[in-house]
Amino acid sequence: MSLLELNNISYNYDGKKNVIKNVNYSFDKGKVYAITGRSGAGKTTLLSLLSGLTAPTQGEILFNNVNIKKINKYDFRSRYVGVIFQSFNLLPHLNSVENVELSMRASGKKTPNRRQNAEEILKKVCLDDSLAKRRILKLSGGEQQRVAIARAISYEPEIILADEPTGNLDSATQDEIVSIFKSLAHNDGKCVIIVTHSPVVAKAADEIFELAPLK
Amino acid sequence: MIIQNALKSITRCTGRNILIGIIVLVISVASCVALNIKNAAAQAETEGLSNIKITGQISLDRQKMMESFNPEDAASGERNPENFRDMFAENTELSLDQLQTYASSGNVEDFYYISTAALNAADDIEPFSESSSEEASEDTAEAETNNPFAEGMPNGGMPGGQNGGMMQMNQGDFTLTAVASESALTDFINGTSKISSGTIFDVSTADNNCIISSELAAFNGDLAAGDTITLANPSDETETYTLNIVGIYTNTSSTSDSNGMGMRFSTALDPANNIYLSASSLTAIAANSESVGTTSTDDYGRTTSTAITTQTQGTYVFADVDSYNAFGTELTSLGLDENYTLTSNDISSYEASLVPLQNLSSFATTMLLIVLAVGAVILIVINIFSIQQRKYEVGVLTAIGIKKWKVAAQFVTELLCVTLVAVIVGAAISAAVSVPVANTLLANQISSQQTQQQSVNDNFGRGQAPAGMPNAAPNNGGGNPMMGGRGDMFNVLQNADANFVDKINAVTDFYTVLQIILIGVVLTIISSIVAIIFIARYEPLKILANRT
Repeated sequence: MSLLELNNISYNYDGKKNVIKNVNYSFDKGKVYAITGRSGAGKTTLLSLLSGLTAPTQGEILFNNVNIKKINKYDFRSRYVGVIFQSFNLLPHLNSVENVELSMRASGKKTPNRRQNAEEILKKVCLDDSLAKRRILKLSGGEQQRVAIARAISYEPEIILADEPTGNLDSATQDEIVSIFKSLAHNDGKCVIIVTHSPVVAKAADEIFELAPLK
Repeated sequence: MIIQNALKSITRCTGRNILIGIIVLVISVASCVALNIKNAAAQAETEGLSNIKITGQISLDRQKMMESFNPEDAASGERNPENFRDMFAENTELSLDQLQTYASSGNVEDFYYISTAALNAADDIEPFSESSSEEASEDTAEAETNNPFAEGMPNGGMPGGQNGGMMQMNQGDFTLTAVASESALTDFINGTSKISSGTIFDVSTADNNCIISSELAAFNGDLAAGDTITLANPSDETETYTLNIVGIYTNTSSTSDSNGMGMRFSTALDPANNIYLSASSLTAIAANSESVGTTSTDDYGRTTSTAITTQTQGTYVFADVDSYNAFGTELTSLGLDENYTLTSNDISSYEASLVPLQNLSSFATTMLLIVLAVGAVILIVINIFSIQQRKYEVGVLTAIGIKKWKVAAQFVTELLCVTLVAVIVGAAISAAVSVPVANTLLANQISSQQTQQQSVNDNFGRGQAPAGMPNAAPNNGGGNPMMGGRGDMFNVLQNADANFVDKINAVTDFYTVLQIILIGVVLTIISSIVAIIFIARYEPLKILANRT
């Protein structure tokens, strides 16, 4: 049984032309998946569907063999899926560790030493204490990306979704981020799904799922 | 989580919260001051009356009689003035016995009465007058012939009514005021009058002892205790009575003023010509006059007598307003005709003294409503802008799985916290400024009221009224219109010197703080509704996609 399964998925915006059509695919634990394709192929739309931010207009998405429509979409997002957005989507009035803590609280998981755990997670993505207490807008792009990763993995979701996680990063930082994802999949048994244009990232993935643009 | 997030957001987004806080602070200070004024005014209205003894009189309600009376002849169907005259002749003032019957009510704390009669001067005394004695006599004579109320009426006066007694005194040179108890000497109790030499007479004996005013004593060559004066029946100058002066009194209300003297038709209405004696003495004089008087029948078939007539006015004292009101209701069941009514100068004077306060209270209510309405609109607008600014935050929070109602609750909590802090600070500020602000506003209202009244007085050509007149003092013990020389109609027109309530205790109490907190909560909820509607409409994917 796959962790996440797409059954004949189609999606269109406001009843207009389909962005993706009749997509079938399955994702397993412990693997890194790269979703590639040309611009407009529907990569980000697929990521939105997988994260529960929107629902397919046709077909079904099964999580542990349960249609995610039957799961509260807020619970699904806060507990089972960790999303790393292309523009990070961190809260600027909070510092790094507070952003991580916020997600931990949103998941509803009881964590005795939440602050300490958040700091440890940040260290795992190579952010030390001084960076942990720094406001988001005072961090570099790479550091913000790490905070976004730390936030996504803080409540230990089974699926980690990343939208162009290396798009704005230099090659050295890009390698570091990719190694973090590989570690999460191979060492922690997470299902890591990365939407990317980068051939380097795609090459590092265990499987590549290429979305062809609709004619 | 909601409270934690809210508190963090408040401390991190200080600019927005300080702006909201300042607006709520202004609203709360203005509202709190307005509420304090309203509460203090209401308190002053209720407690003010509960702190003073209420006195009341039963008098004929002529207006009501006129309204209910059909002047048309039953046979001819034409209006006949005779019918009016008969009606007023039938409805006279209540007798002392009747007044005393009602005084037995449990609602009445005390009862006293005064009897008055008008007598003329005999040879050994002249009534006090500011004009020369000759002019005074002419004035009196002229007043008698020109007085529209005197013509065709028995004894030259109108029967009954609060001012009826005053009109009836027109005929004489002096007013004899008789009392059966010292409590009826309200002018002496409230300090308007004071014995300057000699002593007060014995109120229980018919010894013809009396006290006269210092002006009258000086006017007649320094009369003193031990001297005697002779007064005559105005209708029969040969019928004279000798009174023994036992004391001289001074009366501050007899201070000369152009208004008072100009308005008096007779020297009897001058407080200086008011002679006090015991009720027993006057009763004896009236009884003697009755026995020697002659009767005649006028053109209308009514019998008139040359005997000295007395007017009795009873004053009921009540412990509080409730007793006064209960007595007013009880009178009908005790058999009092509906043409009579219970009135109280204390209540009407007190109500007059509250006019600026009521104006201020009304202003405070209007101010409160405007401040709340404008405040609510401003808060709604700020919240709309705030939510627009925080759209991204809503998108992120809902994208990471925080439910919309929790996001809305966080925003409401933030606003509520800021509002509560601002309200508490506002209540503290208003506690400091309420009393001076309220009293300054009240002083302005009083000044405005006095200017308006002065303008009315000027229009009537009365000029500047003297200060210190006790006419509208709420504690004047009944303000007997017969004794002071000025009736209520003068008070209404001339109360530029009225003792307005000029201080209110507009303090911020616990009840006001609760009210202001409630207002804060209601404002928060009203302005948050907009925020909640916006949040409910936002979809995280759209917000984040637009931002990207």
